[in-house]
Amino acid sequence: MKKIIVFVILAVALAVMLFAAPNGGDEPRVILIKNATIFPIVGDKIDQGQLLIQDGKIAALGKSVTAPEGALVIDAAGLSVYPGIIDAFSHYGLSEIGAIGSTVDMREMGKENPELHASWAINPGSVHFGTGRVNGTTSALVAPVGGTFPGIAALVRMDGWTVPEMTIKDSAASLINFPMTPRSSGAESVSQQQESKVDVTSKLVDKIRDTLKEARRYLQLKKAAAADPKLTAPAVNEKYEALAPVLDGTLPVIISVEKDKDIELAIKFTQEEKLKAIFRGCEQGYKVADKIKKAGIPVIIDSLYTGPTDPEDGYDAPFRNPGELVKAGVTICFSSGDDPSAGKDIVYHAARAVAFGLDHEEALKALTINTARVLGIDNRLGSLEVGKDADLFITSGDPLDPKSDVKHMFIAGRHIDMKNYWETLYEKYKARPIR
Amino acid sequence: MRRHTIGIIILAGLFLTAGLLQAGAPTEKRLLLKNGHILPVTGPGFDGDILIVGTKIAKLGPGLAAEPGTEVIDLKGQWVMPGIIDSHSHIALEGSVNEMGDLITAEVDCLDILNPEDINIYYALTGGVTTIHTMHGSANPIGGKGIVLKLKWGASAADMVFAGAPRTIKWALGENPKQSNSYGIGKPRYPRSRMGVEASIRVEFEAAKDYMKAWQTYDQKVKAAQGKKDAVLPLPPRKDYRLEAIADILRGKYWIRCHAYQAEEMEAIIRLCKEYGVKLACFEHGLEGYRITNELAANHVAVSTFADFWAYKWEAYNTMPQSAALMARRGVLVGLNSDDAERMRRLFFDAAKTVRFGGLTETEALKTITINPAIILGVDRWTGSLEAGKDADIAVFSRHPLDPYTVCQMTIVDGKVYFDRAKYLDERAKAEEAKKKSAEAPKLKDKKD
Repeated sequence: MKKIIVFVILAVALAVMLFAAPNGGDEPRVILIKNATIFPIVGDKIDQGQLLIQDGKIAALGKSVTAPEGALVIDAAGLSVYPGIIDAFSHYGLSEIGAIGSTVDMREMGKENPELHASWAINPGSVHFGTGRVNGTTSALVAPVGGTFPGIAALVRMDGWTVPEMTIKDSAASLINFPMTPRSSGAESVSQQQESKVDVTSKLVDKIRDTLKEARRYLQLKKAAAADPKLTAPAVNEKYEALAPVLDGTLPVIISVEKDKDIELAIKFTQEEKLKAIFRGCEQGYKVADKIKKAGIPVIIDSLYTGPTDPEDGYDAPFRNPGELVKAGVTICFSSGDDPSAGKDIVYHAARAVAFGLDHEEALKALTINTARVLGIDNRLGSLEVGKDADLFITSGDPLDPKSDVKHMFIAGRHIDMKNYWETLYEKYKARPIR
Repeated sequence: MRRHTIGIIILAGLFLTAGLLQAGAPTEKRLLLKNGHILPVTGPGFDGDILIVGTKIAKLGPGLAAEPGTEVIDLKGQWVMPGIIDSHSHIALEGSVNEMGDLITAEVDCLDILNPEDINIYYALTGGVTTIHTMHGSANPIGGKGIVLKLKWGASAADMVFAGAPRTIKWALGENPKQSNSYGIGKPRYPRSRMGVEASIRVEFEAAKDYMKAWQTYDQKVKAAQGKKDAVLPLPPRKDYRLEAIADILRGKYWIRCHAYQAEEMEAIIRLCKEYGVKLACFEHGLEGYRITNELAANHVAVSTFADFWAYKWEAYNTMPQSAALMARRGVLVGLNSDDAERMRRLFFDAAKTVRFGGLTETEALKTITINPAIILGVDRWTGSLEAGKDADIAVFSRHPLDPYTVCQMTIVDGKVYFDRAKYLDERAKAEEAKKKSAEAPKLKDKKD
């Protein structure tokens, strides 16, 4: 009997351990958020509204949604509800402390590693997931950075026990660092360009084309061998295999590019190679905005903690760029940039862009629905609509205001504990007696 | 006749002098900033005007009258705050800011490499910054001397130097002087531990004390020999520029600005400075300062820190964005700094973060980028708040400076407008127009050799 009791206790304890979500959150259940100002992003703002979460999804929202029996009710009077922010380019879980190599996994040796998956190295225990959530980020594209073909980025939730649990899309996008003047994050260096009269950029682009050509040839040989038993299939090449969905246009490829001339070159490259491209960076994008628009290529805005590409552009060029791109009709997405320790700053970049001309509503879209659409996940994320994943947050004010405070967050319907690494330190040290 | 001529010359001279004297007062430029939301930072905010006479704030208040000859700028309800002060930066310096060649480099001086044409001075002005402290790097336990500058873009290096500001000397503890993140670069040198960093400062102080004693003995001997007929004068000790600078620290000539992250090394250096009786003005970064607020406050050591820059190395990992506010609320003098030309342009945005993270009031938040760094630098008599009699160092913003969408519109240093966004936009539009025209113009054919 005693043994049975001990067994039951152990079993219950185990069950509790298994079902307690990471970061102290709860398992999905029925939750009603009431009296909130709801900003669905797609659809009109709802004053004094309710939003019902059931089975990890948004079950209902409107002005007269009532709580089913047993639902957890959150009174959000005076607060606002927004869909979770999607960070369109980050390194969450791939870098903990920049200066300590053993904690950094963003960059592989060599230039051509299209077969690397970020998802193989993401650390779900990184403190930056917790600190990155404070301004409303609920999911992020996690990308490697090194070389010309850095690998494959994954779209993950900002919460979960394991990588598979966090993963929304293991293969969300492939990456190409387009040749350009040096930037901090692994772009191909063409600094010699200024000195030599040789068009280094074009030569490096030719090199990328050669790789794609070889991959196409490999895939053709493989296809031919499959159809004809007399032919020998080529030895398996992981790199070319990884490029297959890029070449047939099923996997988008994020092309990092900065200067106007390089952007024009990248558009030409993208069209000739028939790639489904997303540009990243485009700091001088405003100079060729109509061309980007015409090519139908969306742009991931990089960190705005930067000076102008060229001093002649004026001190505010990086800040007005997002607004100018949107005015020209280009779809933009915000991202936090190079370091996950500054992941929360994604909304600060958006605020800076609004200060210099970007429409506020467009900024919110560029943090949510635009990114969902660009990554092909808008059936689940990016807005508050019935049937979508319950990825959302409740905040004291404008999400772009550094003074606003995110009070609650739900990821796939799980109520996330907002207490993070910082909060733990804060609670401890503010309790020290003052002498 | 001759006497007559001399008389006329004297008279003419007198008239001229009087004329010049009389003209002197009114030619001092008068600038009236009208209709602003004024945030003096050290006093309550109000809607009204600021009268600038010459380089100083003459008067503040509602409805100030413009005497004839006064230039008037209508602010149309924009926000006015004291010029932002960045007490830790490395801009306006030509070349490396670290003398890597030796462990102790107190003899080197940032004043010697000032570059008034650094574009980052202009960029800083676009973010409302009027005064900076530009410093030696953090490679050495005792590094070089720093200098306080007013950002008078276009002026000479000498004219930018903040007259009256105490001189500073850079110290550094932790990972940088022990070269934790530069293994394999050059030959390893002592120290490799935080213990060694502290020891190297002590060793140098003792050497400087011996050096001072040697000179003292020499001076006494020279004095004793004076007037004596057959006295043999002693040979002077060898002049040592480095020890001379260390001795000057011991004599109190420099304010120590000590780069440090971890709490225990800060505490150790507070004890060391007490022991040697030198002024430790401020810890730079001090990301763990929130752990020793009692000790910092009791010893009157300020902290010049980041709002939320962290986790770039181990010693920057054990911190939080609440740190600055927590220190300030617990009685530590706290300033926010940039340490970076890019961050310098958004210090007002960094200040806003302390309202959410750690709960500072808006005025307290503004103090972290104005009067607090002014006190840290010892220039608060002249700048850091909007008060009559202080230097006219002023930043004008489109909205409240802590509003997320605010844009700096105008930056005034010593009464002169050094950045004017309206003018910038105008010039930018003209430049774009000119570029368009030149693109449309028929091109001359390239000459072929």
